[in-house]
Amino acid sequence: MPVRLNPITVKKLRRFRALRRGFWSFVLLSGLIVFTLFAELFINSRALVVRHESRWFFPAYGDVIPGETFGLGYPWETDYRQLRERLRTDPAARARGDFALLAAIPYNPTENCYPGQFFRARPPDLAQRHLLGTDTQNRDILGRLVYGFRQALIFSLWFVLGSYLLGILIGCAMGYYGGTFDLVFQRLIEIWSNVPFLYVVIIIASLVRPSLGWLVAINIAFGWMGMTYYMRTGTLKEMARDYVASARVLGAGDTRIILRHILPNTAATLVTFVPFTVAGAIGSLTALDFLGFGLPVPTPSWGELLRQGTQNLTTAPWIVLSAVTAMTLVLTLVTFVGEAIREAFDPRTFTTYQ
Amino acid sequence: MNTRPLRTLVLAALALGLAACSGSKNPDSANASAPGSTPPASDSAAPATRDNTAEIQAYYAAHPEFFVFKTPADLPANLTWEDGSDLPELGSPERKRGGTFQGRIQDFPRTLRPVGPDSNSGFRGFILDENALSLGQLHPDVPGPHRFFPGLATSWAVDLPAKTVYVRLDPAARWSDGPPVTTADFLFSFWFFQGKYIQAPWYNNYYGIGETYTRITRYDDHTFAVTLAQSRPDLLSRVLGLGPKPAHFYRELGDDYVTRYNWRFEPTTGPWVISDAELKRTTTARNYIVLSRLENWWANDKRQFRYRYNPAALHLRVIRETTKAWEAFLLGELDAFGMNLAEYNYERLPDAHPLVTRGLIQKATFFNDVPRPNYGLWMNTAKPPLDDLNVRLGIQFASSWQLVIDQFFRGDYTRLHTSNQGYGDMSHPTLRGRPFDVAQAREHFARAGYTIPGPDGILRKPDGTRLAVTITTGYEALAPVLTILQQEARKAGLDFQVEILDASAAWKKVQEKNHQITFSAFGIGVELYPRYWETHHGINAYDQPYAADGLTPNPARKPKVQTNNLESIALPELDALITRYDKSDNLDEMRVMAHRMEELLYANASFSPGFALPFFRTATWRWVNFPSGHAFRFSGDAFEYGTHWLDETKKPETLSALRDETKTFPPSVKIHDQWKPKD
Repeated sequence: MPVRLNPITVKKLRRFRALRRGFWSFVLLSGLIVFTLFAELFINSRALVVRHESRWFFPAYGDVIPGETFGLGYPWETDYRQLRERLRTDPAARARGDFALLAAIPYNPTENCYPGQFFRARPPDLAQRHLLGTDTQNRDILGRLVYGFRQALIFSLWFVLGSYLLGILIGCAMGYYGGTFDLVFQRLIEIWSNVPFLYVVIIIASLVRPSLGWLVAINIAFGWMGMTYYMRTGTLKEMARDYVASARVLGAGDTRIILRHILPNTAATLVTFVPFTVAGAIGSLTALDFLGFGLPVPTPSWGELLRQGTQNLTTAPWIVLSAVTAMTLVLTLVTFVGEAIREAFDPRTFTTYQ
Repeated sequence: MNTRPLRTLVLAALALGLAACSGSKNPDSANASAPGSTPPASDSAAPATRDNTAEIQAYYAAHPEFFVFKTPADLPANLTWEDGSDLPELGSPERKRGGTFQGRIQDFPRTLRPVGPDSNSGFRGFILDENALSLGQLHPDVPGPHRFFPGLATSWAVDLPAKTVYVRLDPAARWSDGPPVTTADFLFSFWFFQGKYIQAPWYNNYYGIGETYTRITRYDDHTFAVTLAQSRPDLLSRVLGLGPKPAHFYRELGDDYVTRYNWRFEPTTGPWVISDAELKRTTTARNYIVLSRLENWWANDKRQFRYRYNPAALHLRVIRETTKAWEAFLLGELDAFGMNLAEYNYERLPDAHPLVTRGLIQKATFFNDVPRPNYGLWMNTAKPPLDDLNVRLGIQFASSWQLVIDQFFRGDYTRLHTSNQGYGDMSHPTLRGRPFDVAQAREHFARAGYTIPGPDGILRKPDGTRLAVTITTGYEALAPVLTILQQEARKAGLDFQVEILDASAAWKKVQEKNHQITFSAFGIGVELYPRYWETHHGINAYDQPYAADGLTPNPARKPKVQTNNLESIALPELDALITRYDKSDNLDEMRVMAHRMEELLYANASFSPGFALPFFRTATWRWVNFPSGHAFRFSGDAFEYGTHWLDETKKPETLSALRDETKTFPPSVKIHDQWKPKD
């Protein structure tokens, strides 16, 4: 069944397309997101395809394949760069048509790319395929940026879902029920908003090993309040409309009225906030990682790269350059998209007051 | 909602920044509650609201077994008095007095009290540990057994069977505010440390009646004796390490000690003081603090002191960030910088750096011979799967310490072999840390039942249990060490999960014995022989470690919290050895026992020894001088003994050479390896 869009929504989407800066930012950002979701195909120490003694292997998305499988004589995970060299130089293997196809950047983001050599940030080196150089622990910066972006996206996705769900529910309830319930929650929100978020995160992060889940939970706990204001006013406005009164007269319950009638009519404005929330979430995660209260080592993260960069401004400027450029780029794109959405979805474009 | 998370963060960060600024520049708010306005004791305007003389006398009278009063006639006649006068003199006659040493502190001190809450900070070293004189000091530059030279004492005599050391004070010794140092100040120090006013339980315990010391006997104003609870080979160091407390200064000592004495400078027997004017200045400006040298210090012309403590002042700037301090050093605003980290020594200021080759900055490496902080993996044998010897052995072989040393420390560090290294021949001579060996590791893991490689490459038991253990640590700066261990351990089919917590939270977890493995180290001062009781006695592992027979483990035992037995180790043979060791007064006998204990610990395999730094490195501007050919066997800091001096006439030419690249001076990159451990 084809999805039937509301004609107003179609109009809004058309208008969004017409806003060129926002639209192309959206395309570019989507491209980046798709790229990072399939990053294993481009940046990976595991081979994409191996043909060894007439058997096919696809290690990139599978289980660990020990080196013994390929006759390398060790029980731990295969070093595919070594395997590729061996298959290339071994005449028998070449005769059989054995090969190993590696990703364009054959390193993973947590791996020491210069085994046997000491830790030192190394500048970009195209021959070694370190397009942006390595960080202070010999890890590929591009890999860390891309996989770090993925972490940031997952984080913001959960954060948006969680904080909006909570904010919408509580905001609607406040507007719908009003009275004491509204009053109490308003005061609660005012108090809660004044808890210094960063200190609480620092305290919690120093007591437990902060996983992604923990960080999302903490951020949601301190990030849902803003949404309630919009939902509360939106609900109050819709409540006064005749269709709500008629639904009530027809005997609809509170849940049905809120979820089926009011919410769809208020939710449209929420869409315009999403890009900014995402930008905020990426900023939060980066800030926490920067301060050392974010994801556990050796998870790739932008904040950690930024920290390394600022500590080695003079000795390894490429670290801070990469991190800052990536962050600026993504946050700018998100902001452009956000502006375009806001403009496209602006109700004043479709209604005129007389 | 839209930009809230970001904005909240920025605001919070801003607030943090402001708080930081107010800490250093505008102390009014921070200082409002602290009695910064309390005048120093020497200020006659301060009314003595309290006089504890009577209370102290009553305390002495109430503890006649500890505070003993005799006459000089009671001194035993057959004592052999020693004075360390045969030891070589510290410092150099070439030294110049004067100049201001430019140093750095990380935070403005939260108090000037040397004991009590908040006092155990880096600043304490400047006002107490590296300043005030004790009865005698350990000579840092002679071979063989520990030797002492006189500080406040002129001579001492040891009566080993009576567990007593007799001391003659130097009659010339003076407090920085004038009065002479007498026996009364030493008696007073025991009252001071035993009392509750100072809010320092560690001191209460260590100086408590019958704990370390059992008696102090006064013979006259400059002669007394201290008796210890046990006759141990390091008896002398425990007495000569004592320092007095100024009784006249603490006459007002009472319940309000923490606030009343918070910002008063305790008179010292050492050369560095904080003047009243400086104290007044720091109530409004806290971005630096200056210690000045007493011009007429009582020990000025004493042997061992006449060539030391040469600068006229120590100017300590508050610089929080290490990288900022580094920039200040490169501009010549700081005189010295510690270069222990490989990154600083090889990347930021390599020997080939123009500042070094042009001789503006001098580098020196000092090998030393001190107990090494025992960095390594401490495995809690009370937690499965670490209760299995084979798992522990497997972990030993799966820990790639040599790679850590080669890659992260660039070969500067050496492998640690036991948890008690650096005690000379008291450390075990032949035991070696187990090497990284995947085959052996896998063999041990297989014996423990981990035989099946999982899809993630980690070994499993047939019932599906993964071979995963968590390493808890508070050393955020050493995270790369754990990353290397983690990556390499995967080769052996072991999953190290790294948990980096705030330092105090990590330590709390470890002290409550909730850890599986902790990556930590105990920092140990210079001592004659290692300690085992705290870290390895069964009584510190479990409430009731053994069953009725005293040999087999008690099945119902519970881990004992808040002790330093991080491995929860309880071995009857080891316990018996520790008990004998701790009562022994014979170093040769103790050496045999120590070696046997190390062998037992090695067999137990619950400590995977990591790395040790056998030296310390400094970089100094060329106006900072050290005596030629000197070294520090027993120090981790080139400035601790105050043998350096400044030549400020060199400063202008050096700083102008900073901008004029044609100017050069003779370069100086020295390695002092007299005390390099033979390994």
